[in-house]
Formats: sequence, structure tokens, C-alpha cells
Amino acid sequence: MSWAQIAIDGLALGAAYALVALGFVLILNAAGAVNFAQGDLVMAGGFAAIVFVGLLPLDGIAVPGLVLAPLVALAGGGAGWLIAEVAYRPLRHRPPVAVFISTIAVGIMLQHGANGIFGAAERRTPPLVAGEALEIAGLTVSPQTLAIVAAAALVILLLHQLLERTQLGRRLRAAAQDAEMARALGIPVRRLTALAFALGAGLAALAGLLLANVYFVTPTAGLAFMLKAYIAVTIGGWGSLRGAVIGAFLVAMFEVVAGRLYSASLADALLYVALLVALLLRPAGLFGEAAGRRA
Amino acid sequence: MSDRAQSGRERIAALGAAPIWLPAAAAVGLLGAAAGAYELRLLAIAGCYALAVLGYQFIFGRVGALSLAQGAFFGLGAYASALLALKLGWDFVRSFPAAIALALVLAAIVGGTVLRLASHYFALATLAVAELSRIVVVEWVSLTGGGNGLPNVPGLVLLDWTVPRGWPVTVFVWGWVAVGTLLAANYSSSLYGDGARLLRAEPLAAAAAGIDQAARRMSAFLLSAAFAAAGGALYVHTLGVVSPEALQFDVMVLILCMTVIGGRNAVAGALVGALLLVHLPEWFRAFERWALLAYGAGLLLAVIAAPEGIAGAVEALWRRWLGAPPVPPQRPAAPAALAPATLPYAEDRAILAAQALGIAFGGNRALSGVTFFLRPGEILGLIGPNGSGKTTLLNLLSGFHRPDSGQIFLDGRNLTALAGWQRARAGIARSFQHGALAADLTALDNVAVAANGAVPCARVADLFRLPVGDAKRRRARAAALSALAAAGAIKIAGKLGTDLSAAERRRVELARALAAAPKVILLDEPAAGLSDAEKAALRAALREVAARGIGIIVVDHGMPFLMPLASRVLCLDAGHIIAAGTPAEVAADPHVRRAYLGTGAAA
Amino acid sequence: MKRFIFRYGAMAASAITMLAAEAGAQERLPLLVPITGALALEGQSQRDGALLALEEARQPAARLQYPVYDTGSNPQIAVQAFERAIGESPKPRAMMGPIDGNSMLALLPLAEREQVALLAVSGTARLTELGNKHIFRFFPSDAVVKAAQARYIVEELKRKKVAVVYQNTAYGQSGQEQLAIWFERLGASVAYRNSVPVTTKELSGVIAQVRESGADVVALQLHSGSSALFVGQAARAGLNLPIVGGSALHQPSTAALLEPGELKGVCAETASAPAADENPEIAAFARAFRQRFKAEPDAFALATYDAVTALFQTWQSGRPVSESLAAARIKGLAMTYRSDGKGNMAHDAIIVCYDGAGRTPRIAKRYSRPHEDARAPAERR
Repeated sequence: MSWAQIAIDGLALGAAYALVALGFVLILNAAGAVNFAQGDLVMAGGFAAIVFVGLLPLDGIAVPGLVLAPLVALAGGGAGWLIAEVAYRPLRHRPPVAVFISTIAVGIMLQHGANGIFGAAERRTPPLVAGEALEIAGLTVSPQTLAIVAAAALVILLLHQLLERTQLGRRLRAAAQDAEMARALGIPVRRLTALAFALGAGLAALAGLLLANVYFVTPTAGLAFMLKAYIAVTIGGWGSLRGAVIGAFLVAMFEVVAGRLYSASLADALLYVALLVALLLRPAGLFGEAAGRRA
Repeated sequence: MSDRAQSGRERIAALGAAPIWLPAAAAVGLLGAAAGAYELRLLAIAGCYALAVLGYQFIFGRVGALSLAQGAFFGLGAYASALLALKLGWDFVRSFPAAIALALVLAAIVGGTVLRLASHYFALATLAVAELSRIVVVEWVSLTGGGNGLPNVPGLVLLDWTVPRGWPVTVFVWGWVAVGTLLAANYSSSLYGDGARLLRAEPLAAAAAGIDQAARRMSAFLLSAAFAAAGGALYVHTLGVVSPEALQFDVMVLILCMTVIGGRNAVAGALVGALLLVHLPEWFRAFERWALLAYGAGLLLAVIAAPEGIAGAVEALWRRWLGAPPVPPQRPAAPAALAPATLPYAEDRAILAAQALGIAFGGNRALSGVTFFLRPGEILGLIGPNGSGKTTLLNLLSGFHRPDSGQIFLDGRNLTALAGWQRARAGIARSFQHGALAADLTALDNVAVAANGAVPCARVADLFRLPVGDAKRRRARAAALSALAAAGAIKIAGKLGTDLSAAERRRVELARALAAAPKVILLDEPAAGLSDAEKAALRAALREVAARGIGIIVVDHGMPFLMPLASRVLCLDAGHIIAAGTPAEVAADPHVRRAYLGTGAAA
Repeated sequence: MKRFIFRYGAMAASAITMLAAEAGAQERLPLLVPITGALALEGQSQRDGALLALEEARQPAARLQYPVYDTGSNPQIAVQAFERAIGESPKPRAMMGPIDGNSMLALLPLAEREQVALLAVSGTARLTELGNKHIFRFFPSDAVVKAAQARYIVEELKRKKVAVVYQNTAYGQSGQEQLAIWFERLGASVAYRNSVPVTTKELSGVIAQVRESGADVVALQLHSGSSALFVGQAARAGLNLPIVGGSALHQPSTAALLEPGELKGVCAETASAPAADENPEIAAFARAFRQRFKAEPDAFALATYDAVTALFQTWQSGRPVSESLAAARIKGLAMTYRSDGKGNMAHDAIIVCYDGAGRTPRIAKRYSRPHEDARAPAERR
């Protein structure tokens, strides 16, 4: 198995991690608080996909993902909106650690709600694109891998356009940087914060749909994604969207490469060792803090 | 009120949420009468976690650093004590302190490496350490039993006697919780606890008051690890098995939730949080598969209802009902105790000298070529339009930034390489534009924090409330009273930081600056927001301070405040000094007028 | 179906009515199982198997309570659950214990203290090595099933270079130890060994390393998710080695994650395979289970079912539970149960294999007491 093959395997993983990390940063920037439920939202997205599959007649469709992806993203968005209103809004003037706890609570509810409804068995969602693996230049690439990367790239691109080029995006960023000033300018901060949560959760849910086909989903899967997103965002530079994506790919690549060279447990440990080394060498993350970010 | 009663009352207040104690104790007593093995088991477990939470309050509550290793210290304490008992046959009398010692060593190593990282990086680093320790324990099968752990961990063996299960174990565990609570309360009501509060609220002001942030964080981290390990050791001997579940991240999450829900700054909060979160899932067991869903909902409701924690909420209600605490007795020390060494200075000998200071942030050159001197007893004004670098200059002088070029001398000593808190101890004091005080401390304590000298062993003495520690506190408070008197703020000594008006905050800051017996005081816009009468009073106070031989630099926007006060004035513009001289000279200087009014203004 | 209900239902029903009559009060059989946490899948299976047995046997007049207590896959919670269960009246004479070995180990001293019989389906060998007289394990221990797994690899598949991929949990590590012992005994060599955390999703590195090691067979000791990940990724990577896994690979929920083609050449050790067994009584059990729980039963469900049914039978005898279980010889659905004096009641194992046509395996080999003699060939039951 060549290194190129390993790289491709890590690519899909990295793409999905990137979506999770992006959502995490969006919410972080908008609310100034860590959304501890981000990983569980990924898990919820996977299970939402399973619910939709049960409800919709998807058998004949060649690309079930085209139907599922928007549905799951919307469901995630709805959940994010709800979280913003219930778990963030009452605490927005409180120290950030209160939101930390409230999102932990939401995560617990998601996890055990899923456990109660679906049971603990691992589940698989249908692929975005059905089909056999392709052979390209001697490498085995499954259509699902390509679909994941493509979907993630598309979403990241759209997000970038949204934030940088549209007025909505500008308002979002303004509200995130200085809520008081934004309010004074007539920007509906409350709605925009909820929108940021919705976007962040939608991204997580979408990542869940993508991941659940290749790596399966179970109610306890959330914590691992949360940790990976947290690591990606921190090494990429706290609050930086670009850093989150790059950090996610770095984490995924490290996982795959270390897993290729060493035992899987050692690879797990090495990730944390590498993290410590990176933090000690570059305490502000690889790309530094995004300018003007609050802690 | 006598001094002992005062400090006793303070100790009780430091336990926090005073009204919780009596009814809680009654409730526990009543419950206890009906308690069976199950209830006692839950209480014992809650006690073990309570210790971990008490410890967490040191690093997370008081210092405000999100450490994610607390669960790991808990689990490692469990493993250490269990392994010593199983492999070496040690009884609890030996394995308990050994587990704590091991945690301290580990915390020293980890803390020494990662404590300097900023908030979320520190959190991630501690998370990495925690996960690494879990992986090591799971993989090191020959030592720890790996994933299967080790069974038959002995109970709480004291020499030859094993604490019988049931009531005795629960009482034993809670005995240690009581010890931990007393230590934590003592620390909280000590000078160091007050310093930690200021550190959390206003880190820069704390450095300006001479508090070494790094040392404070390290001691808090060590304490947190020690408490966690103690809790873990008790835990493992009541459980009877040691296994990696004790090192999982869920334990950390649980401790975090307990701390926040209980109240991370009130010692009582630790106990409330631990008891509540151990019992809450049990109360919902009737929901069977939905029990933990209900628990999550309960958690969410709890944090929304009481975001400052339950103890914090109770305390706020209590305070609102009781009113502000009484002003402490007034016993100012003799003014001579406050004045710095009044050596006769030659008129032209500078107490503070800056040579060619320059600093740039990113691409922005904030200061360049700034050279000036300050004589003892002189009041130097520093003016300039917005963005000219006035606050940056103060920051350079007080040590918050290192200059890119240039040197700073204090009384002949080169300070350029010293950190902020070291310069504070060397004799540079400073105030801040917004009045940097800890909101939950009285004015007196805000000032007393700065009057603290540097005695290395005092921290331990404080924990145990040895006479040494307490005497220091009394002396610091006496010095604080003198300083407040000198700043004209003695009447507000008992008011809480949140209750002070803007003018009062300035006075208290001035007092804090004085309390450290400085050679130089830097004041950042001390007159902003004051009425004319208040300004005049402040000027008088400053003149008195200067009369003692302390050099003062006063930053202000414009001339009116400084005209009758300063003997010399410097004007900055875009990082350069464009004018220097008497206030009248500078006011008439055409460069100054242009800087303020822009080009094209009439000279 | 009718025979099934007649034989077991009648027996149990009579036991219950006799019990109710003689006791004159309620009887309780607390079910301490992990509904949440890492072992929730197996714990929920346990619960469902026990509930099926209890509900089938229940008569309107019977006053048997069977409360379910979640042990959370955590010894602390398990102990709390035990204290709670034992404290509520009437005091139970027996309890169903959780499947995770760590929790069981924590409960053993308490069972001793309270003189309560603990029915177990946990495979951790150590449980019966501590001299506790109150544990009764109705699932073959690691020593048995790993012997079966190793023997199948060496004796049936004729492979000698084994790659062992195991989970870095209690289950994985203790199974891996047993496998190592058996491979040595049988003259096979362990060419490769890799410890995999539950959270690792990309196993391409492991698969590449297996390939490089020159092994000619893969032995897995992984939980459900990791098993499916390995099998699927290995198939897609074209590893083309036979895979013989632990009981996770017999579970229908694991097979559901894979395509039939990916399962070709995959076998698993297990105590039983109720969803695939053609034996009429077991098939009837499976049908009843499907109807009640809308899910496929696995070996843990069947083992718990057998354990509860065995308990009913011994209750009939009137002697203390521990004594009667220690002396009993009970023909259950999965196998015949009989104590070896240490609390192990189950001594048989089977190997199931997937043929690539579907997700239901067939039973490839039955082993009776495979751990007792490595030289002699296994007898057919």
C-alpha cells in the first residue's frame, strides 16, 4: 500500500474533520464560547440521516446524497438554532464557562437521546454516491471518498463566499467582533448569532452524514470528534477559519501516517505528544491568533 | 469587633454561601439517620469528587485557567494508591500521602512546561497530558493491569485496622473533605487568595501590584493536583477495583460540571456541586433508558438558573439581604512606615530615566526615540493626542511589554530586562485608565494585596493559618489603611470593588500604588470622569505624595488638570516626544497645538 | 414455537407460581446491565434477552419484579446500582450482572457480602479465578472461546502465521492474552500484533502492516465498530486473508454494517448464533425476540435468556440459589450448562462463517470444551 494511497485515505477523514472544525470556529467566533456539543451534533447528523433514510424512498436514486445532504444539513441547522436560543442566549452575558457547561449538557442530551431511541449499535448511512471503487493510477479510490472531499470543498467554498462576499457574511463577522457596536448599527445580533450556531451545527451534521457511511455512527461517537475538532482549531490558531481547515487536515494526515508507521495505540499517543511539542514551540498556534479575537 | 472574631467571621464568609451550611447540615443529619448502604455509598463517592472539585477551584476558579488534567490527577491518584497497596502492601497511611506526592511531582513537571501557555492552549496541553496518561496506563499492562485494571484493591487500611464499610468509610472520607474545605477556605480568605482574585480580575494590575502571576498559577496548579489525587486515592479504596474508567475524559467533564454548577469561587460550591451531580442521575434512574437524558436536561436547567453556580446565587441573595459587610477597625500606622527611604537626593539625580525607548507592534511603530528623566518628588505630565503612545509608554515603563530598543533605569538600576511584577517590587507602581480593582474584594483588601512583601514560605503558612501568615496579613492591612488615608480614601475602605464610584476607584488605585512603598508612580488618566472638586482634591493628594519624594508621572489628555500640578510636561505625538518643558511652555508650543488641532491650524 | 413455549414457558411458569405460593411475597431479580457507555450494545442485548425470558414466563398472578439498573459500563456506577438493588425490598436472591468485566470484578466482593448469586455473561477469565462462590457465568469464558478461535485457525484453516489485531480495552487485551497462549500451544506463530483504540477510524495503516508482516490469517479481538471497520477496509484494500474474529463479528448488528461480499472469508467465534441457527428451538427464540424487540438476537441475548431460565429451574428446587446452580445440569438453548466448581457454566463454543452471499452466517464448527485438550480433536456435540 503506497503512501499515495494512505494520503487519499486520510483526505476523506480530513475533509470531514474540516467541516466539524469549521462549524466549531463559526460558533466560537459568534458566541465567544466553546460549543462542547459539536461532536455530538456530528453524531446526531449521522442518526438524522438514518431517520431520513427510513422515511424516504431512496432505493432507486443513484445519488442519494443529493437528497440526504440538504435534509441533514437543515436538520442540523434547526438543532443549532435551538441550541442558540436555549443554551446560549440565556447565558450570553455570563462568563463563557457557563455556555461551556450548557453545551456539555446539550451534548449529553443528544447522546442519551440517541441511545434511547436508536440503541447503542453502530449504524451506517447510505453513501452519497453509490458505486464500486475506482482504480485511478494504481490507487483505489471509492466514489464515496471523492464525494466527501468534493462535498466538503464545495461547502467550504460556499461558506467562504458567504462570509467574505455577502452582506450577511459581513454582518455576521461584525456581530462576532463587537456585538454592542453591531447592535448600535442596527444589525440584528441575536438573529445572526443564532444563524452562526445554525451554520456551525449544520456543518457538523453534514460531516456526520459523510462520516457515518465510511466510519459508522453510534451514540458515543461524539466525544472523539469533539476532541479532534478542538485540537484542529487550536493548532490552526484559535478563531481562524482557515487555520481550522488546515488544522483538521493536519490531524487527519497525522493519524493516517502515524497509523501506518506504528501501532494504532501508539499513533493515538503520538498525536498528543506532537500536539504538546507544537504548543510548546509555537504557543500561538501555527497561524497565530485571528486578529482581535476574544479568548 | 476584635481581630480574632473578625478573621473568624472572614473565614466563615470565605466558605461561601453562608446560609447553606446550617440547613444543609441539618438535612444531612436527618438523611443520615435513614441512610442505608446505598445512600452512604453515594455520599462517600460524592466526598471523593468534592475533594477533586475543591482542588479544581484553585486553578479554575481562582486563577481562571481551564485545566483539563484534573480528572487525570484524580485517576492517577487512584492508580498510585491502589498500586502501592497491591504491589507493595502499603496501607493507606503511607499510600495516601505517596499518591499526593506523586501527583505533585507530575503537576510540577507538567505545570512547569505548559502553564505559560495562554488560556485555550493551556487547556489543550492539559488535555493532551490527560489523554496521554490514560493511554500509558492502558498500554502498560504489566504494571497497571491495562484495560482490565486490578481487582481486590484493599479498603482503607490504617496500620492494622480497616475502616469498616458503611458509616465509618463515609465519615472518614468526609473527614478529609472537611480538612480540604478548611484549607481551601483559609487560602481563600488569605492574602494569597485575595491576590488570586485580583489576578483573575485584572492580571495587569496584579502584576503592577507585585504579584508574580507565573508563581501563583504554579502553586494553584500544584494544589489542584494534590487535592485531586487525594480524592482519587480515597475513591479507589472505597470502590475496591482500579481500572481505566477512572482516567476517562468523562471524569474531567463531571468535575468541570460540578465546579461550575456548584459555584467555582465559593468553597461551599464544591460540596454542593459534588453532592448534586452524584445524586442527580440516581434520582432519574426511574426513567430507565432516558435517565441520563433527563440528567442532561437537569444540568442545562441548573446552569441557566444559576450561571454563577448555586453557591454563588445563594451568596448573592444573602448579600442583598444582609447588606455590605462592616468597615474594619481603623488603625492607621504611623505615616513614617509608609514613606520610602527618604534619602536626600541631589536635585539633578533622576529616580527614573528612559533612554531611546522604542517599540513597534506589527508594522506600527508605537514609540521611537523616547528619552526623558524624572526626579524624585517631581510630578511629570505626559500629554498627547489619541494614539500618540502615552499608554504604550506607561506599559513599557511598568514592564508589560519589552521595548525593542532602549533602556529603563530606576534609581540607577537597569530594569529593562525585568518582568512587570518584578518592576513592581523594584518600586514602580501604576494605575489604570478604567480603575483596575477586583470587584469582589473590599477597597481595603484590594490595597492590602499590594502591600504584601515577598516571603517564599508564606503560602504554606497561609494554608495552615499559622501565626506567621496571619501576622503578615494584619501588617498588610495596616499598611493598606495608611495608604488609603494618604490617598484620602479611608472612609471607603470597607466598600466592595463593585460598589465604588469612578472617583473612588481612582483613589483606591492610588492607595494601592502607595501601599507598595514605590519610588515611582505612573498614573494613567487619573482625572477622567471626575468633577472639578474631585480633581482639585486629587491634585492635593498627589502633591502630598510627591512631597514624600515619590516621583509621579501623570498621563492626561489635555492641560487643564496638569497646569497647576505638574512641574514639567512632555508631549507625545505619533510615538515621538515633540515638546518638553514647563506646562506653560508646552501649552504654547506650536508643534503641540498642531498635533492636537491638526495641520493648518493657526500657530 | 409451540414446543418452545410449552417446554420453557411451562417450566418457568410453574416455577414462578410455586415461588409465589411458597414465598407469599414478591421476588426480585434485578438486572444490572450497561445501558449506556462503551458496552451499551452488549448490555442492551443482555437486557432484552433477560426481559424476553422473564416476560414469557410471567403469569398474571406472579409477583416477580425485574427492575433494570443501568451500570453505565463503569464500576462505580455498577456498585451504586448494586447497593441500590440490594437495598430495596424484597431482598433479591440473585442478580443479573453486567457484561463488562471491570464492573463484575467490583461486584464480586459485594455479592459475597450479601450472599447474592450473580449471573454473568462476561468473558473475562479472571472472574472465576478469585474463588468467589456466587458467580455463575453462562457464557463461555475467554479461555474457552479463544481456544476455539485459535484451534479453528490452526486446525481447520491450517494457518500458522497469525496477525492479531485487538482492541486496547479490557475485552481486547484479555482476549489477546488468551489467544497468545493458545497459538503457542498449537504451534502457530504470532507474526504481528496491533493494539487499536475504539476511536481509530482509519485502519489502512493496520491493514498495510498486516500485509507486510507476511501473516496468512488475521485474528481479530475487536468490538463491533472496529471489527466492521477492519473487515470492510481490508476487503476494499484487497487484503485477501481469512479473518477469524471475536464474538463481535457474529453479531447481526456488525454484519449489517458490511456488504455481503466484504464478509466473504470472515468467521467468528461465539457461544451461539441465534439469528443464524437452524435448530428449531433456537429459531423459535429468534422469532420471538424479533417480534418483541424488532431486532436480531445475538449470543449475549441468548446466554442471558438461558441464564434466567436456568435460574427459574433452580428456584424450583428450594435450595439457596448458589448451591443449586453449583450442582445443576441445565439444558439451555445454546448449550448444556454445568458448573466446573469455579462458576463457569458454559464450556462450548462455535465458529460461524460468512459465505459472501448474505449477512447471515452458517455454523461452521462446534466445539465442546475446546480448552481442555489441545491435542485431541474436538468432539462434535
